[in-house]
Amino acid sequence: MKSKRILSGPYLFWAVSFIIIPLLMIVYYGMTNQDGAFTWMNLAKITTPENLKALGLALLLSFISTIICLLMAYPLAMILSKINVNQTSFVVLIFILPMWMNFLLRTLAWQTLLEKNGVINGILSFFHLPSLSIINTPYAIILGMVYNFLPFMVLPIYNILVKIDKNVIDAALDLGASNFQTLTKIIIPLSIPGVISGITMVFVPALTTFVISDLLGGSKILLIGNVIEQEFKQGSNWHVGSGLSLVLMIFIILSMALIAKYDKDGEGNAF
Amino acid sequence: MSHKLIDLVNISKSYGDNLVLDELNLYIRENEFLTLLGPSGCGKTTLLRILGGFESPDTGKVIFDGADITSLAPNKRQLNTVFQKYALFTHMTIAENIAFGLKIKGKTRTYINDKIKYALKLVNLDGFENRMPDSLSGGQQQRIAIARAIVNEPKVLLLDEPLGALDLKLRQDMQYELIRLKNELGITFVYVTHDQEEALTMSDTIVVMNQGYIQQIGTPEDIYNEPENAFVADFIGESNILPAIMVEDKLVKILGANFPCVDVGFGRNKPVDAVIRPEDIDLVKPEEGIIEGVVTHLIFKGVHYEMEVSANNYDWLVHSTDMFPVGTQVGIKVDPFDIQIMKKPESEDEEAVIIEE
Amino acid sequence: MKNTIQKIYLGLIFVLLYAPIVTLMVLSFNDSKTRVKWGGFTGKWYVRLFQNEQIMNALYTTLIIAFLSALIATIIGTAAAIGIQSLNRKFRTIMMGITNIPMLNADIVTGISLMLLFIAFRFSLGFSTILLAHITFNIPYVILSVMPKLKQTNKRTYEAALDLGASPVYAFFKVVFPDILPGVFSGFLLSFTMSLDDFVITHFTKGPGVETLSTKIYSEVRKGIKPEMYALSTLLFVSVLFLLILINTSPQKKENAPKKARVSKTAKAAHLIFRRVIPVTMAAILVAGGFFYGSKNKISGDNQVIVYNWGEYLDPVVLDMFEEETGIEVIYEEFETNEIMYPKIQSGAIAYDVVCPSDYMIQRMIENDLLAELNYENIPNIKNIGKQYMEQSRQFDPENKYSIPYCWGTVGILYNKTLVSEPIDSWSVLWDPQYKDNILMQDSVRDAFAVALRYLGYSLNSTDLDELEAAKELLIEQKPLVQAYVIDQVRDKMINNEAAIGVIYSGEAIYTQLENPDLEYVIPKEGSNVWIDSWVIPKNSKHKENAETFIDFLCRPDIAKINFDYITYSTPNTAARELIEDPKIKNSTIAFPQPSELEHCETFRFLGDKYDAIYNELWREIKSK
Repeated sequence: MKSKRILSGPYLFWAVSFIIIPLLMIVYYGMTNQDGAFTWMNLAKITTPENLKALGLALLLSFISTIICLLMAYPLAMILSKINVNQTSFVVLIFILPMWMNFLLRTLAWQTLLEKNGVINGILSFFHLPSLSIINTPYAIILGMVYNFLPFMVLPIYNILVKIDKNVIDAALDLGASNFQTLTKIIIPLSIPGVISGITMVFVPALTTFVISDLLGGSKILLIGNVIEQEFKQGSNWHVGSGLSLVLMIFIILSMALIAKYDKDGEGNAF
Repeated sequence: MSHKLIDLVNISKSYGDNLVLDELNLYIRENEFLTLLGPSGCGKTTLLRILGGFESPDTGKVIFDGADITSLAPNKRQLNTVFQKYALFTHMTIAENIAFGLKIKGKTRTYINDKIKYALKLVNLDGFENRMPDSLSGGQQQRIAIARAIVNEPKVLLLDEPLGALDLKLRQDMQYELIRLKNELGITFVYVTHDQEEALTMSDTIVVMNQGYIQQIGTPEDIYNEPENAFVADFIGESNILPAIMVEDKLVKILGANFPCVDVGFGRNKPVDAVIRPEDIDLVKPEEGIIEGVVTHLIFKGVHYEMEVSANNYDWLVHSTDMFPVGTQVGIKVDPFDIQIMKKPESEDEEAVIIEE
Repeated sequence: MKNTIQKIYLGLIFVLLYAPIVTLMVLSFNDSKTRVKWGGFTGKWYVRLFQNEQIMNALYTTLIIAFLSALIATIIGTAAAIGIQSLNRKFRTIMMGITNIPMLNADIVTGISLMLLFIAFRFSLGFSTILLAHITFNIPYVILSVMPKLKQTNKRTYEAALDLGASPVYAFFKVVFPDILPGVFSGFLLSFTMSLDDFVITHFTKGPGVETLSTKIYSEVRKGIKPEMYALSTLLFVSVLFLLILINTSPQKKENAPKKARVSKTAKAAHLIFRRVIPVTMAAILVAGGFFYGSKNKISGDNQVIVYNWGEYLDPVVLDMFEEETGIEVIYEEFETNEIMYPKIQSGAIAYDVVCPSDYMIQRMIENDLLAELNYENIPNIKNIGKQYMEQSRQFDPENKYSIPYCWGTVGILYNKTLVSEPIDSWSVLWDPQYKDNILMQDSVRDAFAVALRYLGYSLNSTDLDELEAAKELLIEQKPLVQAYVIDQVRDKMINNEAAIGVIYSGEAIYTQLENPDLEYVIPKEGSNVWIDSWVIPKNSKHKENAETFIDFLCRPDIAKINFDYITYSTPNTAARELIEDPKIKNSTIAFPQPSELEHCETFRFLGDKYDAIYNELWREIKSK
């Protein structure tokens, strides 16, 4: 079987060149100043009130969006898993399909929908309902996050729910559990790997986004992603940008550890 | 025997165009080991699920201890099920699995602990309390599944092919185990299987089913020795099913030769099917037999020899402890009470069809 | 009852998912250039789409990158999955851990890390770096799709094939591969989709002249998306939808039904056509088209000029005319602010030939020795540029050695006459609580500070820390009143009556008035910024003569007139102004203000890196409040 192992060689090379070394580059930049000397200053930049606020707001908004996604996705995944579709791929497609419409355009379309004189307010005013003014507020950003990342919550949960043996649920009912008890004692505990995987797949991109806050927040709201993006694309201080990225990576590593703990067999993969 | 515990009345069930159970009637007595036997797709599992409450019949009623429970939810029934693939809760320890039903009923901690101990002892798995289901072998998991069901002291235990996933040796051990359990617990077992040997070994009563109909109900001996139709005869053990004519009471003409038999009441000169088990055929000297033939195949099977005898244009399957080499001229003799006469099937459904297992 | 609730819930989620998509589809038929107004039904954007070479190029770059990256990732990933499967447990865990990194890591971190790598190892950013990046984030999807299939595969079948005399390779392709094919296929599709949908990683790893749909859209966001883009997205979406419907409804139903009748031959043929032939053909057409477009663009070789200009700051027709007349290929890229442009030039990662920065930025570039001296012999059309503008340029380019004015204008207030109570003539309205949530502010440091500094009566080039602190406080005070900080979107939002007051460049004001006559532009009495955007040539330009030819071309009166008509920013080209037919515009005080109006106006100067950093710091404090 030795010959087979060689097959992972190209990937190993690729992974080292394009995953490991680049990450080390960030560490290098994050730990040095413009003259190449070692410093903690870039990491310490996170403690300036502005950056701290951007990080705090990003944490708050991504936390709220993750919770909303979870609350929306779980019942959804349960309903979907009960639908007797021969091709489960169909369900997956419903959520993958929007991705063929560009991510930026999709998000931008929400601008059109949410604006003061936008589509939604047009409909509301037609029914003489009070108008909705959430554009350029954190609420719009949360909406954008939920909208963009919901599929990443639904798919892992769905995938794990369809894998739960129907007999196990029957067994619980058989042993006297009510539907609600079956849900809380059997279905939810069994779907934890999917939930964890979904949470990280929503939380990490939401935490680090700069596009959604840009497009739906009217540039009034600065998230940590925006700060980093500006350091690289406008402020031209790559060292500070890398330092802040390193801080972000702490949260990413945390979520990876979470996955490693609860989803050892990769059951909760989204795809 | 004791009184009827469960009465199934006119049960029909179909999935789309597919009729699974058709106007089925069956009663189950208290303390009985009743087996639903049939090929896959015969409706036996559906029937069990209707009993368990996981499916509701399109028509008909399920009467349990005199009460109609047709639309009662599974968690309200005094029945427990042992599922085909164990269906253990993989996120719980063995003890938690077993305690599941009891906790829901709100039993005390000491009661539960006692029960767990008792149940594990009963299934010979003492000391497994804190193991996880994944770390157990198939046979052990199956015992846990049984333990989990019986701690709730159900009046009836439903078992859905519980031994299907086990290997032969383990299966045989578990058969004895189940009989022992049933005797110790003194409750009713309703057992679903497609394995005729399992059914014959364990049951008090066997219900042979095919295509949604009950083909025959009887004791293992009845079913084996006196199959009521060609399907049952063919499904239970091996047999020679021969087209015959009932000449008169106690005389049947098989392949042109007259055989004395014990059956009466089929009328005169009526076409029938005659069933003769291979081990009931005596091979004798050519002149002593009722018909004559020649041995065409011979296989040693351990307990007996299996032979094929070509006689009157039919290949007779014969099991015998005596060996006759290929080419031997032999005579075929059958004791009258070993010939089972059956009516020709009237409907298509009763006809023997391909048995998939 | 329960069922109805479930259906309603599904319906709501469906609406949430697809409402934006329907919106975009509707917009693709909107006969108005702005996203915010319904101007009647039209199919013209679909026609224009195929004539718009920039979008078609971006489309095919996107498709080629998606296809190639998915293909290469599929090959490497499938091989890797097989290899990883045969590793021992410890190495397998390590490898899967590495595989999870790009999946779980933030896009922005992945993008930045790759950018740092490419720059450190002197890969020039461009098509190939995007491709490498996309392969990198695609491989995990392939591995994670193939792995489960591989686990299901019965090892014995492979051994059986070997036993029957097959070579390992033959055995693999005949026995194992068909088993894992669905996984390989879904890995490929997933990679393709992810590549197509990616913006963030591409944003950081792309170079000049290469645009994918995502980056193209992002650069258009500030200005307003071209409706052709909606048309393109609609086409893409509909064709994928069509494909999927074909695949899912093709005659292959009821696999679990008993095999009563053998599947008829026609059904088999139809199955083959629907499930294989049509999708493969469509994919082939897309890819072939991509290579066709790709090859078409590579012909011209090195005779090119790389232009880096503001978004929507030049009529694309002009580029075609230039290419046709001179045979020089134009690689055209856009930026949104001076601050975004500057680091790109400074890092030298990309050798631009012609750039169009503003006054103060030109000064900064001169001071940092980033610009090449112009050879005026190659730019005879400079005679068309008005003397006063060359004179004004001396403020930042003292000897007129480096820059040639392209556009100029003022910054002022655009207001909607129907939404304000009194005529406006002062910056003070921007702090008037009655216009809460009705104010659009400029989203750039210097412009925002200029407003506050002038309102306080200070110079907009102030380096006095107390003055700056006062301006900061003022801007923070203003923040609750501001609806949004925007750059070019002021235009669309004002046209659509989204806000009453906006800070805007005079050039945009003319266009907005054409679309919405209720709008009025004013230079506040406290004074404002008068600015000049000029063409310069960076020092590291590789095609300096082509660059000068290009600048000269733009100074030709007819060309300058075309550009003026398109972008409506004031032209310093006096000869071109003479060509304007409409007297209202020719004498517009917005386009060509009287000298008296400019009395209190100043031009930005570069204040040095130190003050630049201070401005940026203060600005971030404002933004994060």
